[in-house]
Amino acid sequence: MAETMLKLEGIHKRFGELEVLRGVDLEVAKGEVVCVLGPSGSGKSTLLRCINLLEPPERGEIFLEGKDICKGPNSGTGESSWELDFVRQRVGIVFQQFNLFPHKTVLDNVTMAPEEVLGRPREEARAKATALLKRVGLADKLEQYPERLSGGQQQRVAIARALAMDPRAMLFDEVTSALDPELVKEVLDVMRELAGEGMTMIVVTHEIGFAHEVADRVVFMDQGVIVEQGSPAEVLDNPREERTRRFLGLVLDR
Amino acid sequence: MSEVIHQFFDVGFMGEHFDEVLEGFWLTIQLFFVAAVLSLAWGLILALLRQLPGRGFLPVRFLTIAYIDVFRAIPLLILILLIATGIPSLDFLPESLRIPEWFGKPDPFWYGTLALTITYGAYMAEVYRAGIEAVPQGQMEAARSLGMNHRKAMRHVIVPQAIGKVFALMKDTTLVSVIALNEVVLVGQDIQSETFNSSALTLGGLMFLVLILPMARLTDRLIARNQGRIARGAHIEVA
Repeated sequence: MAETMLKLEGIHKRFGELEVLRGVDLEVAKGEVVCVLGPSGSGKSTLLRCINLLEPPERGEIFLEGKDICKGPNSGTGESSWELDFVRQRVGIVFQQFNLFPHKTVLDNVTMAPEEVLGRPREEARAKATALLKRVGLADKLEQYPERLSGGQQQRVAIARALAMDPRAMLFDEVTSALDPELVKEVLDVMRELAGEGMTMIVVTHEIGFAHEVADRVVFMDQGVIVEQGSPAEVLDNPREERTRRFLGLVLDR
Repeated sequence: MSEVIHQFFDVGFMGEHFDEVLEGFWLTIQLFFVAAVLSLAWGLILALLRQLPGRGFLPVRFLTIAYIDVFRAIPLLILILLIATGIPSLDFLPESLRIPEWFGKPDPFWYGTLALTITYGAYMAEVYRAGIEAVPQGQMEAARSLGMNHRKAMRHVIVPQAIGKVFALMKDTTLVSVIALNEVVLVGQDIQSETFNSSALTLGGLMFLVLILPMARLTDRLIARNQGRIARGAHIEVA
């Protein structure tokens, strides 16, 4: 197996009484595309948000490129031991609701973090952003404000914005769930291309077809644990677990 | 009837005292602008202090909230009187602070500025807070996930959108109503208590009418023009 990019050990997370993650172990190799499936409330989005420490796990450890970025707060180390800068400059995330900055143009959405966080000169940041936006098919939208764009276009800007930080890995949190059906493909195409270029990706999705085609590995989660995982053919075509079968039955029947 | 007209609308009387009232009116306008700029800035500082994250800033947040609550509760008039009578008596302060006459303005001007800034800063902090809270949570998350720290995320993402929302919230009312407070009323009262004629007060009121009616219309037009951009949470261009 290739070099490990990301390794999760015994991740626990609760919101008040609700235990959302109950001991998740996951190892992701460099260049691997992992699709995470599961019913809503299974903890898959929370898992992504734990990885980049938007929701730090309570227990468990996360290693990024071998570096321990977060021992859970309950392991006795404080917030100061979290490697926020390290993880966020290496792992990009794209959200279901896009979350573009509405007061900035498309171009400025993409250049803001490279300029403000990495200190890149304006011209360099603009050149890179322009190239990225061209790559996601939005070369003609640079000076538009996000509200003028369709959902699919906004989501592609969000992908370009995350890529502008030169991430080693990308997290996708149900990025097509808020889109009209006819706009889903243009976003999936960008992700497909990204996967083809060898980007390490963890994709939380309901797009079974996409998972089948693009994923190196499919992970099925339910009630805060990983129920089963394997190649798309194993998990999607011949699931071993009853819960996986039931879920796939529900999703595919629709 | 003629008594009423004499008491409130004595044109000759108005003419006699026009210069005095106009001077008070002009001073009020200046006071308003200085205090408005200062309370906008002070309110933003308070709102940002209130938003500081983490356990370490708990005392700062607590003190800020206490300040905002206390000075919204104390009536402005009492605060003005406290300042105007209290500060000159603080002997340990140098004279230039006790009886400030900066930029050729009399000391009541600066006591008024201080009182207005203290009070309206507290109010503005709440308005900014409403603006900040109106910015969706996802904006902060997006900024943080791109590696920005809290300060940068506030500065580049949250505050610009919050200010757009604040302008939309305030519309034309809050700032304009601040004007109708001070000097001109006081000048009018002085003249009335000396002469028992209210026409000077009426004159002051008319001056405000002349100023504020066009301002209100102008504000409406600016708001209409910027509506689209405000909806996006963008900066307002007051030009």
